[in-house]
Amino acid sequence: MNRLALRFSYKILFMSPIFYKSSFFVFSLCFCAISTLSAQEAAFFKGQVLDVTSSELLPGASVYWADELSTGVISDSEGNFQIKKGKLPRRLVISFVGYEKTIREITEKDIAKFQKFFLEPEELSLEEVIIRDRRPDEQVKNLATGRATMPIETIKNIPALFGEVDLFRSLQLLPGVQTAGEGTGGLFVRGGSADQNLVQIDGAPVYNASHFFGFFSVFNPDALEKVDLYKGNMPASFGGRLSSLIDVSLREGNNKQIRGEGGIGTISSRFTLDGPLFSDKSTFAISARRTYADVFLGLSSNPDINENSLNFHDFSAKFAFRLGEKDKITLSSYQGSDFLGLESSFGLGWSNFVSSLKWNHSYSEDAYFDLDVYHSIYNYKIEFDDPENGFEFKNQLSESGIKAQWTLLRGENLQTYWGIHSQYYHFDPIALIPAPDSTIESIDTNPKNGVLNNFFAGMTYEISPKLSTELGLRWGMFNQIGKGVDYTYSGGVPGQDVTITDTLNYDTFDNVKFYQGLEPRIAFRYLINPQFSIKTAYNRNFQYVQIATNSSAGLPIDRWILAGTYVPPIQSDQISLGFFHNFNQDKWEFSLETYYKEFRNIIDLRNGASVLFTDNVETELLVGKGWAYGAEFLLRKNQGKTTGWIAYTYSRTWRQIDGVSQDQKYNPRYDRPNDVTLVLNHEFSSSWSAGLTFVYSTGQAVSFPIGSYQADRQSVPLYSNFRNEDRYPNYHRMDASVTWRNPNKGRKWRGSWNASVYNLYGRKNPFAYTFGDIINDDINYDSSTDGPVTSVRPGIIMTYLFTFLPSITYNFEF
Amino acid sequence: MKNSWLLGCVLLITSCQIEVELPLGEIKGEVPVIEGIWTNNPNLNEVNVTLAKNYLDQDSYTIIKDSKVSIRAKSTGLVIPFKYSEAAKSYRPLNSDILAIVGETYELIVEWKDNVFFAEGLMLEPPLLDSLTYQYEEERPFRDEGYYIKAYGKVPFKENNYYRIQIIENDTLKNDPQDYLLFDDTFGLSFFERGFELGYAFDLNDRVRIILYRMTREPYNYLNQLLGLLFSDGGLFSPPPQNPDTNIKLISGKSPVLGYFLVSPIISELVIIKEK
Repeated sequence: MNRLALRFSYKILFMSPIFYKSSFFVFSLCFCAISTLSAQEAAFFKGQVLDVTSSELLPGASVYWADELSTGVISDSEGNFQIKKGKLPRRLVISFVGYEKTIREITEKDIAKFQKFFLEPEELSLEEVIIRDRRPDEQVKNLATGRATMPIETIKNIPALFGEVDLFRSLQLLPGVQTAGEGTGGLFVRGGSADQNLVQIDGAPVYNASHFFGFFSVFNPDALEKVDLYKGNMPASFGGRLSSLIDVSLREGNNKQIRGEGGIGTISSRFTLDGPLFSDKSTFAISARRTYADVFLGLSSNPDINENSLNFHDFSAKFAFRLGEKDKITLSSYQGSDFLGLESSFGLGWSNFVSSLKWNHSYSEDAYFDLDVYHSIYNYKIEFDDPENGFEFKNQLSESGIKAQWTLLRGENLQTYWGIHSQYYHFDPIALIPAPDSTIESIDTNPKNGVLNNFFAGMTYEISPKLSTELGLRWGMFNQIGKGVDYTYSGGVPGQDVTITDTLNYDTFDNVKFYQGLEPRIAFRYLINPQFSIKTAYNRNFQYVQIATNSSAGLPIDRWILAGTYVPPIQSDQISLGFFHNFNQDKWEFSLETYYKEFRNIIDLRNGASVLFTDNVETELLVGKGWAYGAEFLLRKNQGKTTGWIAYTYSRTWRQIDGVSQDQKYNPRYDRPNDVTLVLNHEFSSSWSAGLTFVYSTGQAVSFPIGSYQADRQSVPLYSNFRNEDRYPNYHRMDASVTWRNPNKGRKWRGSWNASVYNLYGRKNPFAYTFGDIINDDINYDSSTDGPVTSVRPGIIMTYLFTFLPSITYNFEF
Repeated sequence: MKNSWLLGCVLLITSCQIEVELPLGEIKGEVPVIEGIWTNNPNLNEVNVTLAKNYLDQDSYTIIKDSKVSIRAKSTGLVIPFKYSEAAKSYRPLNSDILAIVGETYELIVEWKDNVFFAEGLMLEPPLLDSLTYQYEEERPFRDEGYYIKAYGKVPFKENNYYRIQIIENDTLKNDPQDYLLFDDTFGLSFFERGFELGYAFDLNDRVRIILYRMTREPYNYLNQLLGLLFSDGGLFSPPPQNPDTNIKLISGKSPVLGYFLVSPIISELVIIKEK
């Protein structure tokens, strides 16, 4: 879209009276006329100049021979030109403002054919357009704190694991965003856990936004238009999660012509096609991606290998329809699945299916209406085909919603919005269905349902040229409703050893439990000068759905639970203060943001909890509080040949939950006080560019054993009663990539090669430590092959992943 | 499992392992570990009292031999004194004829230094174990070829359905973490009536002894949590490691204590694998 906007602007400029009056144009016209009069047709070389992306005709392009700079022609309104050929071969130069110059050698063979020359928009121009999308001084002028916009082009330039460009892995490079550990894509934003992030595609939530057990996120970068990350300070029109909003927009198709792009990578390939649909009033964009490890496994002649499968795929589509000047409808859909199969007898699969329909209506230039209807389904299934213990274990949860928002502008100083957002949650019963001859029995829990109605209103008001404010209020009303079952416990408090005194059955839409909460959102910005501002914000959020887990990385079969009789909604309050400074004509951005955040009613699990199959999850939960604070420094360069940023975050995260760590405060695993990130991208030429990232962070907070003891004939590690008092070694890693783009601009098909190396210097960052006996001084001792046991001693085994992992990807566009 | 390589590939792509050193904390003071088993089988009745040691300490676990150990029947007040046996390296009842009786609650009392530790457990009725059969099976998914034993029985209970099966193969207790057989009624118990296949492949002429325990929730939770700890790799997908919840309480003194007290009926059967 940005490139299109640029081209249109040039076209308008070319057709405008201003351009006609320019001396260059007059000179060109004269030259063209003289040339035409004095030449025979056979003595001319003819061609046409087009935009490589859209094949749009380019009028006004300069065409001349490299050895005769003083002569040349201009392409006409159809992009056509003819130039006196002279003695061939000669090198023809075609240039146009905003496009990269192309040079092609012309021989006598070329004269007979009508040649087309495709020009590629200059990268510099692209950057300018991107920055125009996000004003150069935006971080100083706007009211947002804790907000980061990650251009898709930036994400694509970051060196990637296996060459798979990944949204979440890129967001982890921003200050205030932590990772749980090596190789995982989960995000931990300002002390929040991974389930406290609202990840949405075109307004519809995605409940498990990861492929391959979290190694990759579900987003195909080619399918994306833009990504906004709100680190807690989200507008009142958004809510439902405590810690962040990751607002992903799928790309709309262009309305000029069919266009494609894709890539063939080390583990997957992807393809995107977009263009007009029926007319220039409607567009489509479809994207698909699939891994092919299973294809290679299937080629093996060994049945132990070819009977296994492992893959993921995703597919997205977006259709946009313009209904006149004032209305637009977009339909977006995403479907992604993972599957792991072993020996044709075990299978684990999970998938997301997300759809949304948006209607944007303009009442006038100052009044808008947006309606968003969505439905999101997440499900998983485990199948075990075994004559004795075969079963099928599956679950599904869904969220349906409708959101209506009105926006009214009053001059340049006041913008108001208000609306309603209604959500319906349905969590299917956990179902374990035995195979016909299986000896195990079925498990069927009760469903959980909830309705959340939110009313919201907000305004942005420029009190004075220096002082602006954003005020918002969101009022959430949550009902856990039937159909379902609730339990009463002896003493009123659930617990593993507490007797259930009654079982209450609820019919459809019967109220089980009601919660409500006001969520104020307040922000101020004071502009000290055009390059320097101070911002402060306060934000409260409630969250009515969460995952009952105490592991750090998410699993596909994690149990989502709704707020209910014994599980109150979790709540956070965050205050933040930030200093924002741009310098060197907005080429550089500097920001320092500090925050303090409190959590209430957050949960953990009791020792040995089992939440997967139970209908009484509340008996497995412990409830407490938490808090986090930090300072985030960011220095960023957005323009020029070298772009990127360096970020440093100091942050601490604490939890205090009765029943954990002797009821004392403790750090969750993702508390990593010091975090440094360096991201660099450099354009050496129009063909060559390179990217480099470096990350450093304090090791994860964990518990190491302090001793061991003997029980049940086992040597058992003994842990302190206080959780996570130890640390993994500090984590650091450098990744690099080099990209080569085809310099031949005369072709419509444009390819590029990207070679990247993950963990360039082979740092052995720990993934896990195992504490156990080492037999015969061999950590891989196998009693069946390694002889008798001669020695046994305690030891520590470290597992590490991904040292110096190269990959290569071929990308293309047409 | 012949496919462990694939799981490894799937979950830990290109992973490697090395032995490392880490700065570990140390135990402050002495931490006694009490492990008491009280059953209706005299060969299994014993109480172990040992000390925990620092993790990298290569010395053997210290056995506490000077404790005063007894078990008391709660309803009758019958006290069963225990004495340390050098041969067994554990405390054994002075009168081995006294055994656990179904329906009785037993209290374990261990006195050591200035500390008194206490635990109690209920002797439950055993399930019915009707028969054991075995059959040769070809290699199957996740299972090697060999002879597989099936246990047939009945569990007529509606509560306290917590069980453990131990296997002794040719006089060797199968006691690796992957050998643990702990189950409750989460997936029902009718499988016991339809034949519960033990997940081990045996060879011809193997002498296989099967020991079945039934216990209350507390010792079951202890063993379950202990097993979870043995399997924990400390990684991202594991819950934070915690010591198993002991059912032993300190009623006098200041010492921490580890371990568990298990009261259980025992069903023990022997099978010799013969060619049919």
